Amino acid sequence: MTEATLWSRLLRPVLLTLVALFFLFPIFWVFLMSFQTNEQILRIPPSLFFSPTLDNYWGLVSGKLVTAAGTLELPFMRNLWNSVVLSTGAVLLSLLLGVPAAYAFARFKFRLGEDIAFTLLSFRFAPPLLVLLPLNLYFQTLGLNDTYIGLIWVYQLITLPLILWIVRGYFEDISPDVEHAYRVDGHGWLKTFLKISIPLARPGIAAAALLSFIFAWNNFVFALILGSSSIQPVTVGALAFVTASGIQYGQIAAAVVLSILPTLTLALYAQRYLVEGLSLGAVKG
Amino acid sequence: MAATAEVAGARAPKQSFSRAALPYLLSLPALLVCIGILIPFFTAVYYSLQRYNLAMPFLRGFIWFDNYKDFLSDPAFWNTVSISLIYTALTVGIELLLGLGIALLLQRPTLFNNALSIALMLPLMIAPAIASLMWKLMTNPNFGILSYLVGLVGLTDFKWASDPSTALLTVVLVDIWVYTPFMMILLLAGLRGLPKQPFEAAELDGVPASFVFFRITLPMLLPYIITAALFRMLDSIQQFDIIYAMTQGGPGDKLMVFQVQAYLEFFTYTNVGRSSALLMVLWAIAYLLSHQFIKSWLRLRERARGQA
Amino acid sequence: MSYLSIEQVRKSFGKTTVLEDVSLGVERGEMVAIFGPSGTGKTVLLRLISGVFGPDAGDVLIGGHSVIARGPEERDVGMAFQNFALYPHLPAFENIASPLRARGLAGAEIERRVRATAELLKIDHVLHHLPRELSNGQKQRTALGRALVREPKVLLLDDPLRNVDAKLRYEMRVELPRLLKRFESTVLYVTQDYKEAMALGERVAVLNQGRFQQVDRPAAIYTRPGRVEIARLFGDPTINLYPCRPAAEADGLAIELFGSRLVLPRAAGETAGRPCLIGLRPEDVQIQLEPAPGAIPVELDAVTPLNVRTVLFLRAADRSEILATCSESVGARFGRGHRQVFMRLDLAKALLFDQASGQHLPAAA
Repeated sequence: MTEATLWSRLLRPVLLTLVALFFLFPIFWVFLMSFQTNEQILRIPPSLFFSPTLDNYWGLVSGKLVTAAGTLELPFMRNLWNSVVLSTGAVLLSLLLGVPAAYAFARFKFRLGEDIAFTLLSFRFAPPLLVLLPLNLYFQTLGLNDTYIGLIWVYQLITLPLILWIVRGYFEDISPDVEHAYRVDGHGWLKTFLKISIPLARPGIAAAALLSFIFAWNNFVFALILGSSSIQPVTVGALAFVTASGIQYGQIAAAVVLSILPTLTLALYAQRYLVEGLSLGAVKG
Repeated sequence: MAATAEVAGARAPKQSFSRAALPYLLSLPALLVCIGILIPFFTAVYYSLQRYNLAMPFLRGFIWFDNYKDFLSDPAFWNTVSISLIYTALTVGIELLLGLGIALLLQRPTLFNNALSIALMLPLMIAPAIASLMWKLMTNPNFGILSYLVGLVGLTDFKWASDPSTALLTVVLVDIWVYTPFMMILLLAGLRGLPKQPFEAAELDGVPASFVFFRITLPMLLPYIITAALFRMLDSIQQFDIIYAMTQGGPGDKLMVFQVQAYLEFFTYTNVGRSSALLMVLWAIAYLLSHQFIKSWLRLRERARGQA
Repeated sequence: MSYLSIEQVRKSFGKTTVLEDVSLGVERGEMVAIFGPSGTGKTVLLRLISGVFGPDAGDVLIGGHSVIARGPEERDVGMAFQNFALYPHLPAFENIASPLRARGLAGAEIERRVRATAELLKIDHVLHHLPRELSNGQKQRTALGRALVREPKVLLLDDPLRNVDAKLRYEMRVELPRLLKRFESTVLYVTQDYKEAMALGERVAVLNQGRFQQVDRPAAIYTRPGRVEIARLFGDPTINLYPCRPAAEADGLAIELFGSRLVLPRAAGETAGRPCLIGLRPEDVQIQLEPAPGAIPVELDAVTPLNVRTVLFLRAADRSEILATCSESVGARFGRGHRQVFMRLDLAKALLFDQASGQHLPAAA
């Protein structure tokens, strides 16, 4: 009994604090850093107390970086915009392609459906470079290598399986009788799909859309291989600008903060669905 | 009698045409994406059987399995295999233990535990490439907080990812930071979904906690552990983002895992054939793993659907 | 020609054939109860008629026209589902209005007709509620309202009283025929409850083993079941059945049963010498305490009072078990204990079935 008390009174809080520190401190530290000047960052020992500055963010927003060597152009806002376009575009396309297919897989048991569903799933787990490297050569011939459309198409590899499998589960949960009743009432198939099936699966569709947005936003390797600098998202862009000479560390931190802010916000907003989405519906949240 | 039945039978299929076509129409777009993936995949298979270097297009030719045969005697290939396996074993093993530990700490669904479990998910929502960037900042020798901290305990010249002896550990640390939450969250959901009766019975009987854990909790949690571990193995053996962003496979060839090696083979040495063959080897490993994973995942999914 | 006719319909799912050869004609305005044990494809049949499924073979005609090529939305068939199948995201009003909206009626007309139907079903006060806010009885009425509001030519009711409590079931059993008469629809009513089938159907169609085994007036099904299975399905407690081999006698058909020789007052016909099953309804078995000529001595094993009736469990000299029913007042005379009693059988009402085929063997005319 005393052993258990000691455990819950002392050890547990200590362990939890260590865990929270390890997983959350890096985010906190980079966040602080993004409000510091280079001198403050380089000060030893590091201090929690400093007068915060927004200069790092202004530098990113204005796209001009003033260094001792001169003024540099920073395409970071462009990268941020590219991320928005690519992720939103990929999710919208996936919804357009995936929701009807998910419905078909849920409602009609047909051989081809299972084959498509599993092919998409198995390629979700295949090495992305396997598909990307040949595509890189194809894209050059097709003239797709500098277009949003090309990348959005390839992003389907991430977003489509997620939407397909999550939404499929939600469609399976709707009683087919509800749809039958609507048909018998005199409504056509399409109207039934739009007025009954889609509204009833809406929570699943929203969850899948949010999650696939997060995954699309966080993708790195697709754009690294297929995107030229004009369409590169933040993941690739931020990395590129660390190597740019004369960069200010505070600005890197600010760039990190700006590029993780959208996904963190969405994740907190959609946390109810995260578990189910991460496990593709294998675990109910 | 038989004649009428035949006439009626002939009439039946008429109505079913549009009905039968509907699922195919609905899944046609997804099918096109599937084909869009399969074409480059088969192209890669084809390349892997060729001598194909972008810098020497005139040497291009079909050589069957020579790319694969060359691997057998190539120390760089075996280095890749062993680094990839070590990386996978370390990351999945540590993340599993850590994730299970945290899940057990947060098992009771109190407000505080729920809030903390959501907060702990945040690293998972950060792009691994960006997370690597964060850790690069933290391990920067000039101002990195981690460099400062290890400096305090006397390790003044700790080089983290740029030192061959600590590079692997540093990258593994980043992987743990990003992906432990995944293990934690899946196992936590699994733990909380376990039936209550065996635990209540054990408590009534006064069974010691260690016995409950090893004989009840762990076996019942096993399907979740296996599924989560297989999922992470699939990811880990193919890790690219973190390693590429941290060290680009270096220092030297210390972190040349499959995909990084294939990337460099393609873009630095323009050796398309060899790069494709390397990826095919990785694909074969991933395929076996994903087969197992999908099986255990489907079982869990069935169970989750049954509960709902 | 019947208004609704189902012709040689067959339907399989994978390897299991649910409906093998189903034919039925229903007159305009008639109400036919489809009765059968669970899993015999009653629901499937309704879905074939409403167009939710397509049959593998056969045809469905409404008003003389085949509707098999039409989708469910083009058949003008009203249907109430066993699980109600209400639209969870729409209030009761919109649930009921759905068939009218599909026809593109004007808003005021929809409002009027939904209100009228809701008043008839006594749910006009909950029309703005979502289905999850309704009680089971209200849900059931909403589902019924949705099927009725369009005044369909054909109305399919799939065990609509299955998921409601006993009191409401009783009320609706009384109310439903009255309601349905107002709409002059041709009604198919599916149920698993033989009493409900007999109470509601002008005719009862017994669906078993993939086909209609008997379609007849409720009383006829009870007194002259076409097959031994039907005799078993109708009646509570179930009919007593014993194997026997009748022999022709001058005064009728003699059988050896309960250690006695019984003579059925009917002509031998083709039944003599053939292995048969004899069926005795529990209510045709009378028990008395005193011996009498023709009464068979049996042991009374248990007395179970059941509402107004009492069920007696008897054992004959040859160890066969017999169920009998009697009124409560008569049952009270036997006490509770085990005792010797005497049994009289109303052999004129006994049913004979062919043991091999299960076919009813009617008394030769």
